[in-house]
Amino acid sequence: MSVRLRMQGISKRFGATVALREVSFEAPAGTVVALVGENGAGKSTLMKVLSGAVRPDAGTMELDGQPYRPRHPLDGRRAGVAMIYQELALAPHLSVLDNIWLGNEPRYRERRRHAAAALAELGHAELSLDARVGELSVAEQQMVELARAVATDCRVLVLDEPTSTLTRPDVERLFGLIRRLKAGGRAVVYISHFLEEVTEIADRVVVLRDGEVVGERPTAEWTIPALVAAMVGREVRELYPRSARTPGEVVWEVDGLAVRRGEVVGIAGLIGAGRTELLRRMFAQRNWRARVGMVSEDRGREGLAVRWTAADNVTLPRLPWWVWPRQQAARAGRWLAELSVKCRSPWQRVSELSGGNQQKLAVARLLDAEVEVWLLDEPTRGIDVASKAEIYRRLDDAARAGKAVVMVSSYLPELLGVCDRVAVMCRGRLGAARPVGERNEHEIMLEATGVGGAP
Amino acid sequence: MQRFAWWLGVVTMAGSVWAQEPTTIAVIPKGTTHEFWKAIHAGARKAAEETGVNIIWKGPLREDNREEQIKVVEDMIVRKVNGIVLAPLDDTALRAPVHDAVRRGIPVVIIDSDLKSDRYVSFVATDNREGGRRGAQRLAEVLGGKGRVVMLRYAEGSASTMNREEGFLEEIRKHPGIEVVSANQYGGATTETAYRASENLLAPYKKDGQLTIDGIFCVNESTTFGMLRALQDGGLAGKVRFVGFDVSPKLLEALQAGQMDGLVVQNPYRMGYLGVKTMVAHLRGEPVEKRIDTGVALVTRENLDTPEIQAVLRPALEALR
Amino acid sequence: MRWVGRLGPVIGLVVVYGLFALIAPESFTTVRNLETIARQTAIVGMAALGMTLIIVMGGIDLSVGSTVALSTVVVAGWLQAGGSPWGAMVAGVAAGGLVGAVNGVVITRLRVVPFIVTLGSLLVVRGVAKGLAREQKIDAPASWLEELLAVLPDEQRWMVVPPGVWLMLALAVLVAVGLRFTRFGKHTIAIGSNEATARLCGVAVERVKTLVYTVGGAFAGLAGVLQFSRLTVGDPTVALGLELDVIAAVVIGGGSLAGGEGSVWGSLVGALIMTVIRSGCSQMGLPNWVQEIVTGGIIVAAVALDRLRHRRALAT
Repeated sequence: MSVRLRMQGISKRFGATVALREVSFEAPAGTVVALVGENGAGKSTLMKVLSGAVRPDAGTMELDGQPYRPRHPLDGRRAGVAMIYQELALAPHLSVLDNIWLGNEPRYRERRRHAAAALAELGHAELSLDARVGELSVAEQQMVELARAVATDCRVLVLDEPTSTLTRPDVERLFGLIRRLKAGGRAVVYISHFLEEVTEIADRVVVLRDGEVVGERPTAEWTIPALVAAMVGREVRELYPRSARTPGEVVWEVDGLAVRRGEVVGIAGLIGAGRTELLRRMFAQRNWRARVGMVSEDRGREGLAVRWTAADNVTLPRLPWWVWPRQQAARAGRWLAELSVKCRSPWQRVSELSGGNQQKLAVARLLDAEVEVWLLDEPTRGIDVASKAEIYRRLDDAARAGKAVVMVSSYLPELLGVCDRVAVMCRGRLGAARPVGERNEHEIMLEATGVGGAP
Repeated sequence: MQRFAWWLGVVTMAGSVWAQEPTTIAVIPKGTTHEFWKAIHAGARKAAEETGVNIIWKGPLREDNREEQIKVVEDMIVRKVNGIVLAPLDDTALRAPVHDAVRRGIPVVIIDSDLKSDRYVSFVATDNREGGRRGAQRLAEVLGGKGRVVMLRYAEGSASTMNREEGFLEEIRKHPGIEVVSANQYGGATTETAYRASENLLAPYKKDGQLTIDGIFCVNESTTFGMLRALQDGGLAGKVRFVGFDVSPKLLEALQAGQMDGLVVQNPYRMGYLGVKTMVAHLRGEPVEKRIDTGVALVTRENLDTPEIQAVLRPALEALR
Repeated sequence: MRWVGRLGPVIGLVVVYGLFALIAPESFTTVRNLETIARQTAIVGMAALGMTLIIVMGGIDLSVGSTVALSTVVVAGWLQAGGSPWGAMVAGVAAGGLVGAVNGVVITRLRVVPFIVTLGSLLVVRGVAKGLAREQKIDAPASWLEELLAVLPDEQRWMVVPPGVWLMLALAVLVAVGLRFTRFGKHTIAIGSNEATARLCGVAVERVKTLVYTVGGAFAGLAGVLQFSRLTVGDPTVALGLELDVIAAVVIGGGSLAGGEGSVWGSLVGALIMTVIRSGCSQMGLPNWVQEIVTGGIIVAAVALDRLRHRRALAT
């Protein structure tokens, strides 16, 4: 196998901070190389160097043995480096065809033929070229992005957190596509926080920490605890802590779901099954005044006012008539410290914090408001392992302290690891909540897709 | 740093030179874009040239906006000009800043429209009552002293046009052979409203494509032009004696074509000229009249090309060129 | 870094003022000129207090100019009908508050964007003002209202600036404190930062919005009372386009039309900058067309510089 992409001795500093230190990285043709690391480890900087958006201070890059020195993301695209980000770069009002050729217009007559060939290579020739992208599902939109990469003859494909908004069946479909692309001789760089998925799709895994490569091995030689240890730099003994807790009385019953004190109850299901709507309905019935708090699934759009300060975001639900800034900072500061949120001061803007630290603020809000019932919608989506562990620990503490926790998640290992009972939602109907001891991933998937499930 | 000091020097010097100007007079119109005000500007400049004073020509930032004009007056007071020549947008609202100027020792000459005050040096404007009388005289002349006439008014509450209307009625009554059959209709500010008012006014006096009235008088540009359009569209232009007020290229055309018999015109050039002249005379300690008439001229087909009339009609454009 | 951000507009003000002071030291640096600038800023400043709240909340109010005109008409009408000056003042403010309340209710209940709603009320309110005044100015008998913003007589020079300016400053303190230290203020900022988050955190978004538009309208009404004080007549055609001056003042002062940002002091400084430019150009006798180009250029430059500084501050 020839080496498609070789990055050697890449270094980059931003002011006083070293973002990358002598990073070397190889992606052979026909393989999937996973790049993992905590937020701020340097993954995105490395990928920006690759795309041409950032120019390194030192180091060289080669594509198929030829020197590769992009000055601009356009150079990268022309050289065959395609980037697909978590936030899809599609124009929702344009057709599939127009999106495939956006910013890259071939001769008119060849447009349709090439685009159709790209979709065919991905095994989805049935997708109409004239459909409006805004009307497609997230998974289909992702395929349009992949088709764009294929149609423009990409040699190296970078996927940054591609599964965070996908349900399990869609993830599997995506993996099928990645395997096809790999078979076509392309080099795929796969970035994700979902370590289970990483070990499933990648041939090799590279771990970055603090701007340096701290481990690089074939996937078979990694275990998940070893990956976590490499990423965090220390042993995380229990990713999913679960102390001895005793379920208390039922405080609330909605759609046959009994919410008990001292218990974490999980809701699984496909996206669009109505899980978020269920939480919203609950939150509409009882809110902060009734000591019920909610963490939204969409951190940037709803969960947090990212242009505002951390202190204001944490204390907003329970402000007194007269607000002393010092008291406010003290209240927020306590939670920031307890949840080890990395920030300079409580008055720092939320947008300057990493995703994991932002999500901790959303949880700190529940702690500050001293709510009795926690409603959580995808609370760990797209955040780093250390932050996840911190949030899991908080859920455990809350349940042990006699609070009731309801958690919606698409990430089954998490549900099985954290919850006491799990219910599955399918097409708007909520199944029975059964103890996790009686559950496994396979059985939950069957129930979620409406094939099997509880009586 | 040195460079900065140098610039500082240049700028302060420029500033002090500017501050040592001789006599500076602010001329503040109601607006700056209309032909009328350009003619006033031209006259003011001519007077400034002759007397060797500086003038600052500064209108309200928003045309016809009372608040903006008050601000300009205030700025000129702070600027410590030697005198202010003002065409007040409002006879009441501009009173306070004018009184303030007078208190600070800056004399004010009012031009064009009156101010409800007696603290100004002089009021230099058209005698509108006289303008109305001149219109009446001309109409009586072309009618041969007898006939039925109508007058189209402008708007309620407008002092200058009300004076014209009164002047006209006062003079026309001196001709026993002439009967005023209608004088209670208002044309309004736009050509469109004036056009409709004219049609309504003429309707009862139409018989078999002919008019049963003999003469028409209108009191400003919009009413005159609205009436002219109504006459032209009814095929009646030229069949009735018609005297108007103010001037525009279209009205001059109609005059030349025989569709009109006379236009009473003001003399804005002279207003600007005399405004500044009066101020300079006052500053030099010479006595000035409290009320100065800038006169009206009657333009007819016969006198249109005479140098005197051309001097009234064209000076704005020529002086500005 | 935070204080530099807050000082940005002040530096702009000092630069602009310094420039004119250098060109015309004899007139521009006098106390008298400062007083004139303060008086000329009071109306825009007063309206900007309300507009700051609205813009911080992520809204906009284009009907401010018309509301000011309506208020002058109401005040003059009240006085003409023999009412007391205090009554006239209350009536003017109430008229403004009513306009704001209607704006707020339409925006929150009918869910039409504020730009469109207030664009509509810009015309409606101007029409109402003209109708009330029968398309004429309204003369009012003299009263102490006329002295709110008049030049101080010599025996009252100890006040430095007229009572209307003091009123504006006092209310500015009130609004600034309210925005910073009260739950209502925090809720206003929360809605502007992210309306969905505010809703999620239990903020009564509709109620706060309606209240903020009402308060904004009341400030416009009070600005109208000050406007009346300067005109001494009720004028339904006054303050045409004033809303743009007010919005520009808030934006120059660091307000963001995207919401969540803006400060009362910044807005007042922004209003002062605009007055200084206008008054400086006017005293220099620059033609109006030059003045308009200069003012427009400075507004864009000021805001662009501010955003540039902002981006740097975020990057480091």
